[in-house]
Amino acid sequence: MLKGHLDMIVLAALASGSAHGYAVIEEIKRRSGGAFDLPEGTIYPALHRLEQAGLLKSTWTTADSGRRRRVYTLTRTGTRALAERRAVWKQFSDAIGGLLGASRPRETPA
Amino acid sequence: MIPDFLESLARELDFDRSLSRCVRQEVEDHLWEAVAADSTGNTLQAQRRAIANFGDARAIAAQFAVVSLAQRTRRAGIATVLVIAGDLIAMKARVAWYAAAQWGISDDMRALRGLVILIDRYAFWTSVIVGLGALAYILSREIPAAFSPAFRRQLRCFSVLCSATAAALVVSVISDGVLTALQLRGMEPSVEIWVAIFTMAVEIACVGLLVFHIRSNTQRAASTAALLKA
Repeated sequence: MLKGHLDMIVLAALASGSAHGYAVIEEIKRRSGGAFDLPEGTIYPALHRLEQAGLLKSTWTTADSGRRRRVYTLTRTGTRALAERRAVWKQFSDAIGGLLGASRPRETPA
Repeated sequence: MIPDFLESLARELDFDRSLSRCVRQEVEDHLWEAVAADSTGNTLQAQRRAIANFGDARAIAAQFAVVSLAQRTRRAGIATVLVIAGDLIAMKARVAWYAAAQWGISDDMRALRGLVILIDRYAFWTSVIVGLGALAYILSREIPAAFSPAFRRQLRCFSVLCSATAAALVVSVISDGVLTALQLRGMEPSVEIWVAIFTMAVEIACVGLLVFHIRSNTQRAASTAALLKA
């Protein structure tokens, strides 16, 4: 199930600001309370794919350690896509919540 | 330990050298960052943990292979349109040269020339329409996360469109070759002749480039499928 929503999760993690791959993973762990336990490497093909789709852009910088670091930022298209996915998710979540939360027995016709 | 893992990941990504270099740098930063964040103080253990958390190099490479193939396919779509544009420029340059040099054609060849021009025109515009269709088709598709049946269908459809474009362009270039031969028939070798021959060579090179792109894209799709099967 997580795989199907990976793009939305990555976009949401980058909504608070630019970050490199490791920081994106940390942000996902932090905000989800460690609920998503996926191989960390899975994030990178997703980041590249989202960049190709124009939802992210990246720049290379040099970290304090002296290593080359690729930093990703949401583009305007990415921000729009995230808002759309959020809306769809909320609608879906409300519908499922309504279904699962409904404890009232069905009324029998008179 | 980390250098060994990076080496194996780079090897798995060898199908795309620039991607391999770029991913290697990115993953190197990730793994050392994970080691630095490890609180145990045991560097060797921290490296082992960072690699284990990162996942299997082959599995990650397989996911990158799909992304790389999708990117390559898009580039092939753009290349198709650029090749057609290159062909058109060479064709127009040659016609302009004929007009500037005021070269005519003998009356007995006019009927044949008319027929070949008709074939050329239809073939060229077919290649333009189908080529633009191929580009629009591939750009309108979502970049897939996996080598799914839908992505395979997408690749097949794109390949058919590109092959049709190439076939139409080959007919157009052959027609141009016939027209050039008719135009240059009986002329003495001179600098002017070489201009016509050069533009023909450009057209042939354009078609060759397109066929090369289609072929290498098909090969890449096959190697990606093999990588995912293994």
